[in-house]
Amino acid sequence: MLIRNKLSLALILLALWVCTGSAAAFDLEKRVIKTRLPNGLTVLMLERSFSPTVSLYIRHRVGAVDEVKGQSGAAHFLEHMMFKGTPTIGSKNYTAEKKLLSRIFRIGQTLDREKKKGEKGDQRRIERLSALLKRLQEAHRRYYIPNEIDRLYTENGGLNMNASTGQDVTTYFVNLPANKIELWARIESDRLLNPVFREFYTERDVILEERRQTTETSPDGKLFEAFLGAAYQVHPYGIPIIGLPEDLRFLSPQAIRTIHKKYLRAEHIVIAVVGDINPEKTLKLVTKYFGRIPRGSSQKNSIPAEPPQREERKVIVPFDANPSLIIGFHKPAPPSDDDYALDVLETILSKGRTSRLYAGLVSDKKIADSISVHNGMPAARFPNLFAIFARPRHPHTNAELRDAIFHELEAIRENPVSEQELAKAKNQMKMDYIRSLDSNAELASILSYYELLLGDYRYFSTYLSRINRISAQDIQKAAERYLVAENRTVALLATEKKVTNQNEP
Amino acid sequence: MNHKRCIRIFVLLYMLASCFGILSEARAADIFPPPDRLQYPALEFRLPSAQRIELKNGMVLFFLPNPELPLISLSALIRTGSAYDPPGKEGVAELTAYLLRTGGTKKTASDAVDERFDFLGASPSVSMGLDSATVHFTFPKSDLDACLELLSQMLSEPAFEEKKLQIALSLKKEELRRIADNPQKLAFREFNRLLYPDDPRGRYATVASLENIVRDDLVVFHRKSFFPTNILIAVSGDIAKDDAVKKIEQYFGNWENPGSAPAVLPPPSKSARGLYFIRKPLPQSIVVGGELTVSKKDPDYYAFALLDFIIGSGGFPSRIFTAVRNNEGLAYSAGSFYRARGNYGVFGTYAFTKTASTAEAFELIRTILRAVAAGAVSQGDLDWAKKSVLNGFIFSFEEPAQIADQQMTVAYEDLPADYLAAYRSRIEAVTLDDLKRVAAKYLNEKKRLTVILGDVERFGKWPDGWQSPVFLNPQP
Repeated sequence: MLIRNKLSLALILLALWVCTGSAAAFDLEKRVIKTRLPNGLTVLMLERSFSPTVSLYIRHRVGAVDEVKGQSGAAHFLEHMMFKGTPTIGSKNYTAEKKLLSRIFRIGQTLDREKKKGEKGDQRRIERLSALLKRLQEAHRRYYIPNEIDRLYTENGGLNMNASTGQDVTTYFVNLPANKIELWARIESDRLLNPVFREFYTERDVILEERRQTTETSPDGKLFEAFLGAAYQVHPYGIPIIGLPEDLRFLSPQAIRTIHKKYLRAEHIVIAVVGDINPEKTLKLVTKYFGRIPRGSSQKNSIPAEPPQREERKVIVPFDANPSLIIGFHKPAPPSDDDYALDVLETILSKGRTSRLYAGLVSDKKIADSISVHNGMPAARFPNLFAIFARPRHPHTNAELRDAIFHELEAIRENPVSEQELAKAKNQMKMDYIRSLDSNAELASILSYYELLLGDYRYFSTYLSRINRISAQDIQKAAERYLVAENRTVALLATEKKVTNQNEP
Repeated sequence: MNHKRCIRIFVLLYMLASCFGILSEARAADIFPPPDRLQYPALEFRLPSAQRIELKNGMVLFFLPNPELPLISLSALIRTGSAYDPPGKEGVAELTAYLLRTGGTKKTASDAVDERFDFLGASPSVSMGLDSATVHFTFPKSDLDACLELLSQMLSEPAFEEKKLQIALSLKKEELRRIADNPQKLAFREFNRLLYPDDPRGRYATVASLENIVRDDLVVFHRKSFFPTNILIAVSGDIAKDDAVKKIEQYFGNWENPGSAPAVLPPPSKSARGLYFIRKPLPQSIVVGGELTVSKKDPDYYAFALLDFIIGSGGFPSRIFTAVRNNEGLAYSAGSFYRARGNYGVFGTYAFTKTASTAEAFELIRTILRAVAAGAVSQGDLDWAKKSVLNGFIFSFEEPAQIADQQMTVAYEDLPADYLAAYRSRIEAVTLDDLKRVAAKYLNEKKRLTVILGDVERFGKWPDGWQSPVFLNPQP
């Protein structure tokens, strides 16, 4: 009874797949308007008119991998600096302010040099310079209105204004009422061309707090950082985006400017505008404001490739928390055929309660608390990792859980997955895909991401048909090729109690 | 090399700009007009609304079509919540919700339910909040019948299979074991516990309370709150109204109606006050403060919402953010929050700061709240907050599913039917005097509760006049 039900359902769904594959709603290629401005900047527009709102995404093909060695954290720091305004946004008197800012940088750099000496540093000089810096920063506040960019967006109805820095890509985004596109174009093109790095040294402290919040006090953050550091020994994917503490503490304005220079390459910028727009008028505005961004010089990035891994790597992270683990395998980035196959395997292993790892390790063996699989960590401009994140359930240990996961992966290598599992995974991926089409922000994000990453947003529009062609053999072959012992990195968080849990004064 | 060239280019540009000052300024103005003076086309603006339909069995349905994608979205709100946990059996409400989804139905075994949902690529979520349970389910319209049939079985005739209850209990215990691994989660849980002492809202599941729970507790809890007249449903998607009504009646119409809705809880009477420490040797402290405050039905709600925006929830330009983050660099996350319910509200502040600046951040926020309570808000603050809220209001109406859900929530909270329609004009009507009045009336340092988690011995010098803190020792 059950089996017949499932089979007939499978047939219905397969039929649906064929019918709706070209339905209007999915037919992005007919709806997306792609334009390249004379300077090389790419603009993607998509009209959706249910509500008078618009999502605006700007992506730069610049990220943490583009940093100079020893200046880790610079790309992310720049993203913070981009919110500090321009000569015409946030200044009360830019000529006077500029002089003060140079002094702040001079004193700040002198102070950094002294502090870098560590114990040999002149403590009295440090105190004197710190006090002077503080006075200059206070003086600067008289010339500067902080947070003007945020104020302008919020006051005009902006929502979720933010930015993110990845290893590969940096993104600036906001949702606005549809009549305010010019405000966005005005602010974004200005800060891209003329950013003023204000509040530099306090912002560095803010980022150190961000690092404490996301890494130093977070077992997941700590473990992930150590995991990537072990998996990538040469390629910069092994270095944390937020920066290594020793680099971050003394990052200089010059390091930030070096990264900013890389923003000014129009052909490495993709803009996506999705919502209730008039494409012609929108393009006019984008051209007016972003047309003057220079076409960059074609500098070669010399990012070293990660050499093939020859043997298993292990890293143990001591932390006062319950155990958890990450396992990762090197594999090629999209759009390689194997990457599609591993996307399907990710679903088969971890999506839903009946997935291999959930059903096997959480429900049946009861040794896992949680388990998830991500194909494509930590980013995708360069070969990346097929990664498994899991937590054992007390009293089971990391070692037991790790071995059970290895065992499940062995089963994938040894036998092809069943047709039923494959059909199920494809249905799940199809539903996820359709669901991602129903928000302006999500569409703007996805379209701009693939256009920037692969030079063609159609990676996304053709995604389902590529996935549909993946066979059980493709998955097995990819597993045999990549999910093997000598290609894996295992990171374990080991409980380390720092103090007893006494909470009396 | 690069470094120098870069500087030179900057200098050169600067000289050009200053040499040809007038010319370049004129050009700059052309390209970069003052952002506050930009002119915008008018925004055409309608507030679509969902239809409210009472079904034969007493269920209320909110409906708004959306033909863009071949999907249907269903949400439901059920009047129940973890605040209704039987005393000593904290955790029953949450387990009931979890088992509705995972424990099978009287007609379909749990493993078969899982297999069906996974094969459809669509799975409903059932979650238990403090004072409501919510269901969300988005599925392909072609599977409408299969999906509604299973959902109806789940909600109306759950099996609560014993083996699935044991898995759920064991996972919940693991969650409790791990709560201290996330300092923010732990600090906020303890904050909430102290906010509602001697109140059903302040109780949390513990390993001990979980030991007391058996399958029958879930059966009873389910019977008490899951029945048609206690459920609101919102449907949007690629379906016509008549079909939606017909299908919901078909799958939920025969559900017998055994009970009456649980009473709305009276507002919490009093929160704990003063300073509480949780010792955890981490390099960053969690500083959370707050107090009970004005409810959503109170006429002062609108003024207080704007006040909260100005104090710390209005993003970068808000007071706490500017002071703690911009000016002092003490935190990456800092701000305020205001959660209003029908008959009470909670206002709170937070900052996550390095151990050495714990006292400083605490004191800075306290100073801001004092100043605001004493009337230090300006017409400029009010204008900015109002403009932001009014211009951003359109985003509450971005997607049909969101609109239907929102109207369902208004009904659930028993707010006036014109709540959404009148929201803008009520915000617009708030005056500077209102703002100062509510600040003086509701921000009260003596009633404030503060919880700080961190490396207690290394906190900075504590402000004078603060009573010695109470140490908490949270247990799983």
